[in-house]
Amino acid sequence: MATTARGGGEREPAAGSGGGGGAAAEMEVEAYRRLFPVAYFERHLRESVRLDARPLASPRDTSVALGLVGSADGSALVKFGDTTMVAAIKLEVMTPPAESSDEGSVAVDFYMPPICSPTVRPGRSAEVAPVISKQLSDVIMSSGMINLKDLCLINGKASWIAYLDIYCLNADGSLFDAALVSAVAAFTHCIDDGRVVTVPGELEGKTKLPLVNKDKRKLMLNNVPFSLTCGLHKEHILVDPTAEEESIIETFVTVVLDTLGRVVSVYKPGGSVLAYTSILKECITLAKRRAQQLRNILNESVSAMEVDKSS
Amino acid sequence: MEYVNPLTGFRIDGRRPNEMRQIKGELGVVANADGSALFEMGNTRVIVAVYGPREVQNKSQQSNNQALVRCEYSMANFSTGDRTRRQKGDRRSTEISLVIRQTMEASILTHLMPRSEIDIFVQVLQADGGTRSACINAATLALADAGIPMRDIVTSCSAGYLCSTPLLDLNYVEDSAGGPDVTVGILSKMDKVTLLQMDAKLPMDIFENVMQLAIEGCKAIANYIREVLLENTKQLESRRGG
Repeated sequence: MATTARGGGEREPAAGSGGGGGAAAEMEVEAYRRLFPVAYFERHLRESVRLDARPLASPRDTSVALGLVGSADGSALVKFGDTTMVAAIKLEVMTPPAESSDEGSVAVDFYMPPICSPTVRPGRSAEVAPVISKQLSDVIMSSGMINLKDLCLINGKASWIAYLDIYCLNADGSLFDAALVSAVAAFTHCIDDGRVVTVPGELEGKTKLPLVNKDKRKLMLNNVPFSLTCGLHKEHILVDPTAEEESIIETFVTVVLDTLGRVVSVYKPGGSVLAYTSILKECITLAKRRAQQLRNILNESVSAMEVDKSS
Repeated sequence: MEYVNPLTGFRIDGRRPNEMRQIKGELGVVANADGSALFEMGNTRVIVAVYGPREVQNKSQQSNNQALVRCEYSMANFSTGDRTRRQKGDRRSTEISLVIRQTMEASILTHLMPRSEIDIFVQVLQADGGTRSACINAATLALADAGIPMRDIVTSCSAGYLCSTPLLDLNYVEDSAGGPDVTVGILSKMDKVTLLQMDAKLPMDIFENVMQLAIEGCKAIANYIREVLLENTKQLESRRGG
């Protein structure tokens, strides 16, 4: 809500003069931060701290809230610090194609509307949006989180297509991680509400049609994927970078793990820092820890929601 | 269909004809933006982010004596009952963007910020009738949050006429009933109308009643917005230690 010049409220006297000097010292710090971002950043790294006073291996405060969008079949709002994602699923019935007549389908779309960042201009969508969209689609499909056969209603005639739309409401780094958690959370919340569907061509001569999906049921999820993006700068590994850090660091590694701890995907799109095996192994260890944390947060929000429903 | 129950006088969602839906406004929801707000009118939920005053993107449009105001309206794919893949530049979005821009321009003191641009981005998360009004109310809050100087608080509300009764703040079902829909936007303290839109037919005297009802709704929203802004300022003050 404050303008960007205020730097989000952090005051870091450690970077320059000490307590004395007051307002003048603060202006110096802010100017230094803008004019020499890399030096400012490295000064922090020497003390093993980041720009928002986090330790290097510590992710930001994460929160998950389910069911915010009433008109959707499943929805979730996820916040990683200031990064905010809204995911919503709408289920519709479609005729499956002949070669996969017993499977449903999932369509994933990721949007970055202009509200999310001062760098996104209307008329020209953000460069990273289609990249993240494709990454999400690939990870969700390849992790096997959803068994497409579960989405089948009548073999060859009708199946569900789940449209998953993810909107970034505030972009402050780690967009892929937050989007993946929001997608997973939305699927966890998604309930097939047992609506009645008529299939064309079946009505003639039949007075009573059996209801195919009588009870409300939730989608069964196996092998839920969780991811962690680390930034590599010289010899430091920074977990869950913010947008400011992302503009300074050039090399990122994203590791996606599933519930059994298997690696679903590793993504390192170039960058000046070369990742030796040791660094990759460390990223995977950090990802394991983060996955456990995210799983706990997700389970907590699911049980919080069930309490709300039953009360 | 019975939009107003003849026996009890209640509408389909249990409201009385001159009752507005529950409103809620919140400031500062998008940290990256200079100013932002979330506004809810019943089930209609809208987020507005304001970026500016900042450098004009298209230098040819830059004005030497006032700020340029731009607005973009977009609806999320899941915002309405059925999921529709919305094209960015479709007619309805362009029209509403224009309406919001011109309504807010009437209030922003653009001559104080020459050669700059103020961007108002509107994202509809849930649509249940009255989206235009919710957007304008949210834009007012977001502009105030961004500290952009304005002449007055702009608020907007809609009203309709079904079953021979003027109804305040139509929801989606009432709006699609085919009756007239009057949307009014006013500058509350100055008591001036900046936006007035109506479709369908209404006799003149009934139109005056319906418009008056909408204006009352706008004034009620203005009082609420004033409270929200005051509360926000108090919080800022206490955080600053003042």
